[in-house]
Amino acid sequence: MTTTTATKQRYLGDNPRFLAGLFMSPAVLYIIALVGFPFVLAIIYAFTDISTGNPELEFVGWATFRRVLADPVFREALWNTFLFAVIANVMVVVLATALAEILVRDFKGKWLVRFLVLLPWVAPVSLATITWLWTLDSIFSPIDWVLRQLGLITENMYWLGQPGTAMTSVIAVQTWRIVPLAAVIVMAGLIAIPSDITDAVAVDGAGFWRRMFQVTIPLLAPIIAVAVLFGLILTISDMSVVYVLTRGGPTNSTQVLSTWAFIKGIEGGALAQGAAVALFLLPVLIAITAIVLRLARRREVM
Amino acid sequence: MLPRNSLWVPRKAPFAVTRREFLYLTGAAALVAACGNGSDATTTTAAGSSTSVAPVAGGPETSFVEPREQLSGELKILLWSHFVPAHDAWFDPFVEEWGEMVGVDVTVDHIAVADVPAAIASEIQSGQPEHDLLQYIAVLSQHEPSVVDMTDVVTEAESRYGEMLELTRRSSFNPNTEKYYAFAPAWAPDPGNYRQSLWDGVGLPEGPSTYDDLLQGGSEIFASEGVQLGIGMSQEIDSNMALRGLMWSFGAGIQDENENVIINSDATIAAIEYMNELFAGAMTPEVFAWNAASNNQGINAGELSYILNSISAYRTAQDEGLEVADDILFTPALEGPETALVASHVMYNWIVPDAPDVNVAAAQEFLLHYAENLAPVAWNSKLYDFPAFPERVPDLAGWVDEDPFGSNPPDKLSVLNTALDWATNIGHPGPANPAIGQIFGESIIPVMFAEAAQGNKTPEEALTDAETQINAIFDDWRGRGLVGSG
Repeated sequence: MTTTTATKQRYLGDNPRFLAGLFMSPAVLYIIALVGFPFVLAIIYAFTDISTGNPELEFVGWATFRRVLADPVFREALWNTFLFAVIANVMVVVLATALAEILVRDFKGKWLVRFLVLLPWVAPVSLATITWLWTLDSIFSPIDWVLRQLGLITENMYWLGQPGTAMTSVIAVQTWRIVPLAAVIVMAGLIAIPSDITDAVAVDGAGFWRRMFQVTIPLLAPIIAVAVLFGLILTISDMSVVYVLTRGGPTNSTQVLSTWAFIKGIEGGALAQGAAVALFLLPVLIAITAIVLRLARRREVM
Repeated sequence: MLPRNSLWVPRKAPFAVTRREFLYLTGAAALVAACGNGSDATTTTAAGSSTSVAPVAGGPETSFVEPREQLSGELKILLWSHFVPAHDAWFDPFVEEWGEMVGVDVTVDHIAVADVPAAIASEIQSGQPEHDLLQYIAVLSQHEPSVVDMTDVVTEAESRYGEMLELTRRSSFNPNTEKYYAFAPAWAPDPGNYRQSLWDGVGLPEGPSTYDDLLQGGSEIFASEGVQLGIGMSQEIDSNMALRGLMWSFGAGIQDENENVIINSDATIAAIEYMNELFAGAMTPEVFAWNAASNNQGINAGELSYILNSISAYRTAQDEGLEVADDILFTPALEGPETALVASHVMYNWIVPDAPDVNVAAAQEFLLHYAENLAPVAWNSKLYDFPAFPERVPDLAGWVDEDPFGSNPPDKLSVLNTALDWATNIGHPGPANPAIGQIFGESIIPVMFAEAAQGNKTPEEALTDAETQINAIFDDWRGRGLVGSG
């Protein structure tokens, strides 16, 4: 009996499938508990009239979604989310590709530069954004001070006080935050390009731009797609940057779905409407994810 | 084109890092992260700076009344980090001492005011709240279905300390359900803070007393000195408070005393038009970007001529030895075409979740103990907190007339002695119902004013948009039976 058990244990310990399941189980449990459960709860909430003060669930069908759609702030937040995500991610792709090109080259102090580039990503998002809040302050902004010293402006820019500059600011900060992650992903792709291809291109006498647009970027396309996917999801689902910088203001001009879901659901108390707002982009995000991953895979197997 | 495994980094690739390099990198990153997070031993002030503080010296002794019943177990309290840090330095030992006397283990958690609504919402929603007693400085009426009725506490407090102020009653009582969803033993006035040296220069040494004064004097100061005034139009608490005061003083309001929506009126249009003029003449776009600390920071930095705020900005200036402290004086609510009213700057609403394992008896007895000690509360908040049971603080008028905390001149706070004549509750002339709370939380009023001031919409369009949202919110809460049907 003892021998049989010992044999079975040895067999289980040597079984890669068992080990894979064992090692993955904490991650699966984590995802179920901290992502899956709240996600299902949000779907349930969105079809009820639950409020922060009353946990009772009374199902109201699509009424909550209809109420949300009738809200002019929601429509503004939806447009802002689109603008915010698209512009930020275009900038992320351009800057991350350029940065990755620089960082794969050899130069003195590369270690320090890489560390500094990664800093926005490793710093806690709220802390980093508060730093930007001070930097963009209406009265004490050091950016304004520099611009004044250079004679470029005569009065402060009020970065977060005017709709145009406020949206520019939140896009810039979000770009600054996500570029390091995208740059690391693109760097991994650049390094993986077989050296015989780059050598052949060099021998053929292709210049920098030709190599970039006709060789490097096509080869990197699946990797860039992954970076875009991460960037889009992080931009659409994260509320920290907008909430800390503007709370959606001025006049809801930077209000995005994630902040509006929080303000509506938690600060306003209309939890069901907050859940409906939060879920609104879920089908869009699923579609984007599927398309991007499909495109990436197609390019990969070509 | 790329093989599937091509993403694996070759061992000698330029990006490859050794284990040692990896440890350096992650260690440095962790250090950076840690530098940004460790602030447990400090208190955050309204001005946003962090500082360690000691309780205020002197003041009235705390008194103790035996609880009405034998207490035991634990009492966990969640409340804001007070804008006057000395209050918290006094409050925590005060609670602990009470716990020892009555045999209750007490824990007090202070969090930043902006984090309180989310913390309370999640605790109530969980059905198993972490804290037995929760406090916030604005409307909590939306939690009415899930909190203990505090009628018993209010009745007991009134029998001991006299009638509660109408101002705080309307901030904690729902007349439709006849339930005290909160106990509101204290509040804070919201006077005008002005720089005397600047207003003296425009012939108003005692500061503006009407909205006309504010417009004319403020515009003149801005034109001559380049110093703007600051009535916020941002999506934050102070802007919400200030603009409601402006509306009431112009004869406008969100609801009437029977909770009917009345925002669509000529008076609201007049208030919006006034604010457009004030913005054009005396302010800059910074007021659209403010957070709750911005007006404090602005006046203490000498960048604002007038703000509508509690005395916390002034106390910060005093504590930090800023020259501007002596130059800051106070005015009552400004007279508008109809009246002179402002919202109480904060309302201290304490709620007890209606959930299993909540120590209701200890929470309610502690609140009675707190009400018993409203004099030390006022003193240790450096006269920021005012009592809802004025009989408990008979010396308050004297303290205010001659500030024991070193004001120059000593009587500069004396205007606060008239605060009950010009302060009212959020929701005036009706109660602070959940619809009013949601409108406050979603900053619909500041957005309405800001849309017109920025020229994005006419006053009529901005009002129509706001009214649409407000009607939807009232309808929703009316359907739940928490708002009167008019």
